[in-house]
Amino acid sequence: MKQAVRDQLGRIVAVALLATIAWAWFWRPPFSWTFGVLVVIGTVGAGIADGRYALRRIAGVIPVLVGVSFVVFALMASLPGDPAINILGPAATADQIAIVRTELGLDEPFFNRYGNWLGGVLTGDLGTSIVLREDVADGISRSMTPTLQIMAYSVVIALGFAIPLGIWAGYRQGTKTDGTINNVMLGFLATPNFVLAVMLVLFLSIGGLSVAGNEIGFRVLPAARYVPLGEDVVLHFKHMLLPSLALAMGQAAVFMRLLRSDMIATLRLPFIDLARSKGLPTRRILWRHALRPSSFTLLTVVGLTVGLLIGGALIVEFIFTIPGVGAYIFLGVTQRDFIAVQGGVLVISTLYIVVLTMSDFLYLSLDPRLRGREVGARA
Amino acid sequence: MRKRLGFVFWVAVAYLVVLALAAVFADVLPIKDPAETFPGTSKQGPSLTHWFGNDGVGRDVFSRVIYGAQVSLVISTVGTVLALVIGGLLGMVSGYFSSRVDRWLTATLNASLVIPPLILFLALVLFLDGEAKRRIFILVFTFVLLSIAPIARVVRAATLSWAGQDFVLAARTLGARDGRVLFREILPNVAPSFVSYSLIIMAGLIVVEGSVAFLGLSVPPPTPTWGDMINKGRTNLDVAAHISLMPAIVMFVTVLALNFVGDKLQQYFEPRESVL
Repeated sequence: MKQAVRDQLGRIVAVALLATIAWAWFWRPPFSWTFGVLVVIGTVGAGIADGRYALRRIAGVIPVLVGVSFVVFALMASLPGDPAINILGPAATADQIAIVRTELGLDEPFFNRYGNWLGGVLTGDLGTSIVLREDVADGISRSMTPTLQIMAYSVVIALGFAIPLGIWAGYRQGTKTDGTINNVMLGFLATPNFVLAVMLVLFLSIGGLSVAGNEIGFRVLPAARYVPLGEDVVLHFKHMLLPSLALAMGQAAVFMRLLRSDMIATLRLPFIDLARSKGLPTRRILWRHALRPSSFTLLTVVGLTVGLLIGGALIVEFIFTIPGVGAYIFLGVTQRDFIAVQGGVLVISTLYIVVLTMSDFLYLSLDPRLRGREVGARA
Repeated sequence: MRKRLGFVFWVAVAYLVVLALAAVFADVLPIKDPAETFPGTSKQGPSLTHWFGNDGVGRDVFSRVIYGAQVSLVISTVGTVLALVIGGLLGMVSGYFSSRVDRWLTATLNASLVIPPLILFLALVLFLDGEAKRRIFILVFTFVLLSIAPIARVVRAATLSWAGQDFVLAARTLGARDGRVLFREILPNVAPSFVSYSLIIMAGLIVVEGSVAFLGLSVPPPTPTWGDMINKGRTNLDVAAHISLMPAIVMFVTVLALNFVGDKLQQYFEPRESVL
């Protein structure tokens, strides 16, 4: 097949994978369906995009997934204390405990339990939460929506800051502008997201510091609560702005630094001189000619930061009382609901692995120079 | 161009040294007892007697910040040092012995990165009940677990580039054993990138510890921690913002200083790799 055709097809496959995952989270079909669709698209994509390499990558992902599920299960199974007593409370009689233990399958040998659980996971059954008395898969997919929204918004915001600033700082390398942008971004890099979140709440939503009776700050944005997108679009974005900003600025700094250094390297290449001698305006050279070849590393790193974003989302959800998946796991942890935690950790890790692998593929399809070489895209 | 570390670098180093000394000698320094409540000073702003003001129940924020530094610094230092030793060894072994060992180690390390840190941490937190000592142990253990892979990766890359150099070949031709080559020839060259990177790792650990404390899962209450102070201060954010603000500023400056010093050292030792 011609390379140009392959490129297009590779892109379509990548989009299809993303769309499938989005579909799976928002419309919640049974896990087994999603799994099947992912496998089909993945295999087709592997065949088209870059045959052997992609197949090897996908084959490599499966043992990792199994390993992760095993580690998560083993961790939860080796928790001190009897889960049955946790459910029933300390006053439970031996008979009651025995009944609950059988119900949870706790009396079977370890590997049988693991097998049962894994079998359940593959068909979309993550068990029933101990505390909430609710299907864990349902709970997670319900709380996934706000989390994915925060993550998506914050990536958009981060890129919105990072791309113009990175281009500009790279173009003005070594000048005061560059220095200022760099220092400010280093500042954001060093601000833990919960500190930034508290500061944002302080200065943008509750009026800031009062010095001698004057407020230094604003009361423009709400500080807590989650409004679903379907309920009120404007309110939704108003409520999501602070949490997304708190999560975005650290990422913006990372992205901006990466883009800047790649821009500097690109701007030294001869084709930029050519573009300049043709008389193209600077703005056009920067945005049209230099940005694309400089953005490969950035794109992969965007994929990589999903893991960080999930951790950050947890904190942000805690501060802004948003019922996301981080909050779900956190609740599970504080109430020792190991079935919920187990499900949550598994789903998040799987999501992360899938995103990582896809960002590798995306990298290959974007940067033709790397084809045929092994790419450990995790720079 | 002569290499320079610059004035700001030394300011940052001085700040870190002062903070570390204050934390170590907190018990003998003339500062207030972090647990003592001063009657009638609740939510009072910064003053001459209480430099950082007082918190919701009238405790001295300044001394709590200093004592909070103990937790942050001890946990992050111990975590970083252990991770350096283990991760450094793994990285060197993986970079020096080629093919099979390398492939297995790299695969394992990559696999260990697929659970997002904070989530892994939460899963581990289920193991701890109350007890402060056990909690610190688990914290440090998790932090080591989290930082081994990134360190090993950096060290592996550095080792790979040094292992191909002529002097290593010379040493091996002269009959030096692997251990000797690794520790006497390669280690001294790899060490600088180790050290500067370890400061950045340490900054990261302080942030993770802060996040965990913020969620109320770090060292339990009577011991002050920065994250916990920032979280508790949130209830009074509208009337007495300094309760959250002061520890937040100190934490910010500490993390910034560590990052800055690490960055500068990296540029100092390896000007070419200073891009990231």
